[in-house]
Amino acid sequence: MKNLFEKWKTKEPEYDIKFRELLFDKLTRKGGGSEQSKEDRGKQFANNYELYIYAFFLGLYNNELQPIEIGVQKVSFRYQISLWGSKVNRLDRKDFTNLQENIFIALIAKTDIDLVALEKGELDEDDAVKALIKTMESYTNGGLILIKEKLEENPNYFLQPTSFLNMILETENV
Amino acid sequence: MIIKKIQIENFLCYYGLNTFQFEDGLNIILGENNEGKTKFYEAVDWLFNGINNDLENLVSAKKLKEIALEDSFKVSSSLTVEQYNNEYKISRSFTVHKSNNNEIEISNFIFEGQETDSTTGQRIPINGQVLLDRIFPFQIRKYSMFKGETELNVFENEEALANLINLFSDARHLEKYTEKGVFLREKAENAVDQSTKLNQKNQKAYNILESEISQLEKEKERLRIHINSTEEEKTKLEKNIKEAEKYVDNAEALQTINKRIKNIEEKISSLNSKIDESFTTSLFDENWILVNFESFHKEFAEKITGHSKTRRELQSAFDKQKGILEGEKRAKAELLNNAIPLPNNVPSKAVMEEMLDDEICKVCNREAKRGSEPYEFMMKRLKTYLESQVIEDREKDKDEPLFKFDYTYRLDNLTISHEDNLKNLRLIRSKIKDLFEFNDNRKKDVEELKEELEKEIKEREKIIGNARIANEDKLLSIFKNYTAWQEDFRGLNKEFFNLEAKQNEILKQLKLKKEEKDNIDLNSANSFYLKTRDILRNIETIFKETKEKKFDEFIDKLESKSNKYLSQINVEAFTGEIKFTKKKFSGDRIKIDVSLFESGGRYFMPGTAVRTSLNISILLAISELANEVRDETYPMIFDAPTSSFGETKTGDFLNLIYETSNQKIILLKDFIGSYKNPDGSVKELFIKDEFNSIKRKKAFWVKLERPFDKKDLSTINTEVNPL
Repeated sequence: MKNLFEKWKTKEPEYDIKFRELLFDKLTRKGGGSEQSKEDRGKQFANNYELYIYAFFLGLYNNELQPIEIGVQKVSFRYQISLWGSKVNRLDRKDFTNLQENIFIALIAKTDIDLVALEKGELDEDDAVKALIKTMESYTNGGLILIKEKLEENPNYFLQPTSFLNMILETENV
Repeated sequence: MIIKKIQIENFLCYYGLNTFQFEDGLNIILGENNEGKTKFYEAVDWLFNGINNDLENLVSAKKLKEIALEDSFKVSSSLTVEQYNNEYKISRSFTVHKSNNNEIEISNFIFEGQETDSTTGQRIPINGQVLLDRIFPFQIRKYSMFKGETELNVFENEEALANLINLFSDARHLEKYTEKGVFLREKAENAVDQSTKLNQKNQKAYNILESEISQLEKEKERLRIHINSTEEEKTKLEKNIKEAEKYVDNAEALQTINKRIKNIEEKISSLNSKIDESFTTSLFDENWILVNFESFHKEFAEKITGHSKTRRELQSAFDKQKGILEGEKRAKAELLNNAIPLPNNVPSKAVMEEMLDDEICKVCNREAKRGSEPYEFMMKRLKTYLESQVIEDREKDKDEPLFKFDYTYRLDNLTISHEDNLKNLRLIRSKIKDLFEFNDNRKKDVEELKEELEKEIKEREKIIGNARIANEDKLLSIFKNYTAWQEDFRGLNKEFFNLEAKQNEILKQLKLKKEEKDNIDLNSANSFYLKTRDILRNIETIFKETKEKKFDEFIDKLESKSNKYLSQINVEAFTGEIKFTKKKFSGDRIKIDVSLFESGGRYFMPGTAVRTSLNISILLAISELANEVRDETYPMIFDAPTSSFGETKTGDFLNLIYETSNQKIILLKDFIGSYKNPDGSVKELFIKDEFNSIKRKKAFWVKLERPFDKKDLSTINTEVNPL
C-alpha cells in the first residue's frame, strides 16, 4: 500500500526569500537571532513553520493560489513537514499531526494529479509530490502577500492578540 | 600568631619610643578622643601597608622641634610576633634630618624583617614584605583590622564574604580538583563530539542541536542576570516600603489593610491568568485554523470517492477481460456433470506417482491397473499438473495487474478518519465565541476588583497620612512615593514570577536538547569514548557537589555561630536572626547576602548598634571558624568598634570577647571620666571604677601629656600607661 502523505511529509517546502526579513523575522520568535529575541512584541508565532502553516490556510481560504515567481530565490527552514509541531521539544504545546493531514487533504483536493496514472505507474510518485508542494508553496505565497499587505496598511495591526485570528475568521464567506 | 609587642617611635603624637607589650587574648587600649588611639591604629596600618610617600607628615612635631639643626632621628613602627615558638620582628622606618635652614630631609626608608632562631637565638634578617606575608597572609590581614564601626561591614562588598568563606572552608581544597574535573570532562566531551561528527549523517542534526543548546544557554544566562537584578530591585523597594511604614501610627490597621490589598491583588492576578488571549497559539493547538476547512474536506472526499469508483470500474473491466481467458481455461475440465475440478496439485505429485506405481487409487481405494481408465485418468492429471507448472510460469508475464500501486487505500482511510472530525470543525466557531465571552466576563470581574482595590489604597493613604515624622518634606516625599512603590513592587513580583517560569521552561528545554544530543552520541560515537565521558562527567559532578556541600556546610556553621554571638552581644535586647543567602552568578561567581530577620520578615532598617552587633558577630564567627580550620589563630585589631553601644553594653561585649580564643586588640574611648575646670575645660582624666570589672589580659591608657597647647603640635605627646 503506497502512501503519498508519508512521502510528502519528508519535504521542506520553500518560500520567496523576500518574506524572510519582511515577515518571518518580524512575526516569529524563532529565527530572529538572540539580539532581537528581547523584542518579542507582536511575535505571535512561536516558530517559523507556524507562520508558514498560517499563511497557507489564509491563502487557501482566500483562494489566493499565487505561484512564486520564476527566477525568484526560494528558501526553506530546512525542517521537514513531519517535524512541524512534533511534540518532542515543545512543552505545553499540542501535536500538529492533524494539521499536517488537513494541509495534505487540501493539497490533494486542489492539485491536479492524475491518480489513475499514478497508480498505473505511468506518473512518477516524485512528480506527484512535487506538484503537491508547488500547490502548497503557491497558497502560502498568496497568504504571505495578504499578511504583507495588512502590515503595510497598518504596521501595528499584529500587536493585537486577535489580529491573526480575525484574518482567518473573516475569510468565512470568501 | 600572637603580637607580643608593638613599638612606635616618633610617629605623629607618639614622641620618643613607646612600647605596648601584649598578651594572647583580650588587650584593651583606652583613650579619650584625639589622644592617640587612632594614631596607634594608623601606626600599625602604616607598618603593614605604608609606602615611601608624604613621610614628612608622619613625623612627631615635638621631636622635630626638639632636635638641633643638622641632627637626625628615626621614625618607626615595629611589630614583634610569636608564631610556632619562633619570634619575628618586622619594622618600617625612615630617618629624618633637620637641615641648617630648618628643612626636613627624609632618607633611609626601610621595611625590614628579622627572624630569631628559637634554638640558637641567632637573628636572621629577612625582607620585611616577604616575612609579613609569610606570617600574616594578606587575605587574613584584610579581615583583621577594622577602623570604626562602618568598616566592620566588609560584607557589603559583593563577593568579600564569599571569598572569605572560600579561604577558610574546606571548599578551597577542592578548588583545584573541580578545575581539573572541568578540564577532563571537556576533553572527553570533545572526543565524543569529534567521534560523532565523523558520522556525516549525524553532522547536520548535531550542528543544529549544538547551536540550539548554545542559544538556550545564552538565554538562560540572560534570564539569570535579569532575575538577580529583579530580586535586588524588589529588596530595595521592600526596604523603602518598610521604612515608610515605620512612621505610621496605626501599624495594625495598616497591616490589615495591606493584607486586604494583597488579597485583592491575588484575586486579580488569578483572574488574569484565567483570561486566555493566546489566540494565535489556539489557531494551531486547538485547530481553530481549520474553522473554514469543511468545504475543502468535502472537495477532497469527493475527489477520492470519485477516483476510487473509477478505479474499481477500470479494474472490473480489466478483470472481465481477463475472466474470459480464465473461462476458456476452465472449459478444459473433464469432470462428471462439469463439476469444478480440484486444484491441480491435489493430491500432490509425489502421491500421484506413488498411486500410479502401486496401480491403486488410494483416494477411492480401487484398483487402477496400468492401461485401465482410472490409471489413465490419474496419469493425465499428473501430466496436467506438470504442464501447469510450466504454463503458469509463462502466464505470469502476461498476468500484469492493471494498477501497479495502490494509493487509494490510504487516501480512502484519510477520508474516513477525517469524516469524524468534521463535527469538531463545525464547533470551532462557537468555541471561539464562548472563549471571548468567558474572557469578557473575567475582565468585568477584574474591573470590579480594581475599583475595590482603589478604595483600599485610598484608605491606606489615609492611614499613612496620619504618620508622625519630624521632617515634613521627608514625610511628603516618602508618602508621595509610597503608593508608587507598592505598585512597582507588585509589578516586580509579577515579573519575577514570569522570569522564573521562563527560566524553568528553558531549563526543561535544555535538558531535552542535551538528551537528544546525547542520543546522537550514543548512536554514533565510539562506546569507549562515551563511557569515559560519562565517568568524567560523574567525577566532575562529585567534585562540584562536594565543594558546594563544603561551602554550604561552612555557611551553615557560620550562620549558627554568628547567631550565637549575636544573642550573646545583645543579651536581653532585640537580636533577630542572621541569615546567609547564597546567590549564584554567571561563571560560578557566588555572592553571599547577609541579612537580619525579625519575626515579621526581613529587618530592613537596623540601627547602628544592631548593625554593629551583626557585623561583629559575623567577624567573630569567621575568626573562630578560621582558627578551627587553620590550626592557627591570628590577632584582630579594632579601633572604636562599638561607639554606638553605650558603656554597659560595651562592657558586656568586652566580657564576651574575653571568652573568645584568639588575640584581640581593642581601642576604646569608654570608661574614661573627667574632672572639669570651672570654665568647662578638662582638668584631669581618670579611669572609671567600672573598668575594674572588665575581664582582660592587658590594658593600656593612652593620654596626652599635660599641659599642652591645642594649637601647637609640638606640645603633643601621647603617653602609654599600662593599667
